[in-house]
Amino acid sequence: MSLLTVEGVSISFGGLKAVQDFRLSLEPNSLCGLIGPNGAGKTTAFNLLTGVYRPDRGRITLGGRNLAGLRPHQITAAGVARTFQNIRLFPDLSVLDNVKIAGHLRSDAGLFGSIFRARRQRGEERAMTERAMELLAIFNLDGRAGEQARSLPYGDQRRLEIARALATEPRLLLLDEPAAGMNPQEKKGLRELIRGLIRRFDVAVLLIEHDMGVVMDLCQRITVLDHGVIIAEGPPAAIQKDPKVIAAYLGKPAEGEKGEG
Amino acid sequence: MDPFRRRTLELSPSRLVAAARSVLPFIAVLGVALGVHALLYRWQIDDGGVFFYSKILMDIGISIILAVSLTMVNGFTGQFSIGHAGFMAVGAYTGGVVTYYGAMKLFDPANFAAGYLSRSLPMDGPLFGAADGLFLAACLAAGLLAAGLGYLVGLPSLRLRGDYLAIVTLGFGEIVRVIIERSRNVLPDAEAAAKVPAAALPLHVGGASGFTGLQPFTSPFWVILLAGLTVVFAWRLKYSSLGRAMISIREDEIASQSMGVHVTRLKVMAFVVAAFFAGVAGCLYAHQTGIQLTPKDLAFQKSFDIVIMVVLGGMGSISGAVLAAAFVTALPEWLREPTSVWMYGLIALCVVAVFADRRLRAALWVVGLTAGAELLLTVARRAGIELSQYRMIIYALMLILVMIIRPQGLLGLNEVWEIGPFRRLRRTPVAPARGAAAPAGPGGSP
Ligand SMILES: Nc1ncnc2c1ncn2[C@@H]1O[C@H](COP(=O)(O)OP(=O)(O)OP(=O)(O)O)[C@@H](O)[C@H]1O
Ligand SMILES: [Mg+2]
Repeated sequence: MSLLTVEGVSISFGGLKAVQDFRLSLEPNSLCGLIGPNGAGKTTAFNLLTGVYRPDRGRITLGGRNLAGLRPHQITAAGVARTFQNIRLFPDLSVLDNVKIAGHLRSDAGLFGSIFRARRQRGEERAMTERAMELLAIFNLDGRAGEQARSLPYGDQRRLEIARALATEPRLLLLDEPAAGMNPQEKKGLRELIRGLIRRFDVAVLLIEHDMGVVMDLCQRITVLDHGVIIAEGPPAAIQKDPKVIAAYLGKPAEGEKGEG
Repeated sequence: MDPFRRRTLELSPSRLVAAARSVLPFIAVLGVALGVHALLYRWQIDDGGVFFYSKILMDIGISIILAVSLTMVNGFTGQFSIGHAGFMAVGAYTGGVVTYYGAMKLFDPANFAAGYLSRSLPMDGPLFGAADGLFLAACLAAGLLAAGLGYLVGLPSLRLRGDYLAIVTLGFGEIVRVIIERSRNVLPDAEAAAKVPAAALPLHVGGASGFTGLQPFTSPFWVILLAGLTVVFAWRLKYSSLGRAMISIREDEIASQSMGVHVTRLKVMAFVVAAFFAGVAGCLYAHQTGIQLTPKDLAFQKSFDIVIMVVLGGMGSISGAVLAAAFVTALPEWLREPTSVWMYGLIALCVVAVFADRRLRAALWVVGLTAGAELLLTVARRAGIELSQYRMIIYALMLILVMIIRPQGLLGLNEVWEIGPFRRLRRTPVAPARGAAAPAGPGGSP
């Protein structure tokens, strides 16, 4: 049975049909791509999946549970985590705290327990720190745990965002242009990292990426959006040859583009 | 049981240790409050002239409660509430009604007297009077009613985005003021109160001319106790998982909700808690010696004072709010008889030399500001201008300067012990991870 099923999801902003009749089916532990020219509606699709926007129409189910209409924090608790196209860390907080905040949804701390530092809360705090440090160690960020998130180099910030998303213990991880702004070496490291995540954290990954090298190398299946509509879907080799995809990208640089979302 | 829960239990300290450490700060606060109260009391018996200082101390304590509680809203969750005095007013009048009419209805006036704890001046009376208990109940009632109203105001407006809260809280403060101004005359004695049904008593709080006849129960003990509890509360909240989640909202609301934080719930929680403490502060304010409780004293201007304290101290800094509360409260007193500022400038220079990130720049600012202040004082003295009347202009100037020099406020999100040379001593909660290589020393590379 597939992990995520999306059927006929649409949203429009005023007159603009940003995403129309979006559909998607993801197997557990699969790695799929979502590509398309700038403004195609990729980030909007992520915002629909994570509850930032409410779909006008359509169904989204995760492991049989309907997600459409849930609020973002509920969807995260249900097992969907994400990163953002333009990095959204908690800049004034430490690297460690950034990850621990993502663990808060597993906490059962109420106001009373927090103020009196109940025994349970003390244990929980230690367990949270320990888990966060393990996660940071995997991403090679444990040496910088005490630093402010804003002081990290760009590539580290991108990786911290992934670590933070994983701290919510997702079954599905949505990465919005994780390679944007990285140099070739960092991109190579990122590819290894993403591939490793699938098994290590038992997640499926849906990836938005403009770097075709990364996408074609990593993804098992690819969905192509243009003007909010799916124009192609299939394995990388077929997508590369698809005339509609080539037409959509024609005259547009396919690599190294970074738009805003 | 999932592995995280199991690990939580494994890492929990023993019951006894946990319980002891949980209540320790509260007991410490109680001890300090009793100690300082006893000292001041003793001092005032020996020498009648010290009252001024315990008055300032109580003013500062009340400001601390207000500033620290507003920090939980404006600093932690990053909302912008500018109607904190509205909750203070609700608390002040609730507390007033409880002690004034409560004393008439529940106690025999012959043996109703303030005990040792509720007296800021030496006078005759029992060690523990019925008034001590009644005043505590009044403070609680004040906090609870303010919190309830905070919930009613906060729930709808905190769901909305952006700056709606600022407008709503501003409106709330004004509504409270107008309603209180429409209230009826205070009933002078038990006889008059007996003619009015008990439920109608809260309507008789004096209107625009003020709630007269409140007894001065507010003492150094109560102020230090409640200010201390507020600080411990805010501190423990800030360094808990719940508090971190609150701060993440101010850092980036979208990211916060995407990481599973129930944004609305935490915003409302912070707002309600802050309203509670503002209500308590109002009750303390209402029962101060030499205060005539009127609605216009708890209007927008007061809210603005509290916002200034939070912004000056640094959004989200508890020690910053405490320092700024003390500063902003003491300033008007000082302005009444300003002394030369060179010495303060020198002290500031030393502080800057130790703490500031960019020392030269900071030192130049300090020298410049000191010279500017000295010039202002001299001009004012020559021209015979009473500076304390221009308090609001001076506050506004300070705000503008802070926005230019240090937009994040004096301390930003940090506490005093997290900046400058203390940064290295700070206990960073970095535990070595299981199975992973031990991380570099606390705080990583500086
Ligand atoms: N909240 C919104 N209100 C109005 N229009 C929006 C909103 N969000 C997105 N859009 C529009 O929807 C369209 C799709 O935007 P989206 O950000 O999803 O594109 P994208 O595929 O992620 O592009 P990029 O590759 O540049 O990131 C754009 O035309 C954008 O202007
Ligand atoms: Mg995008």
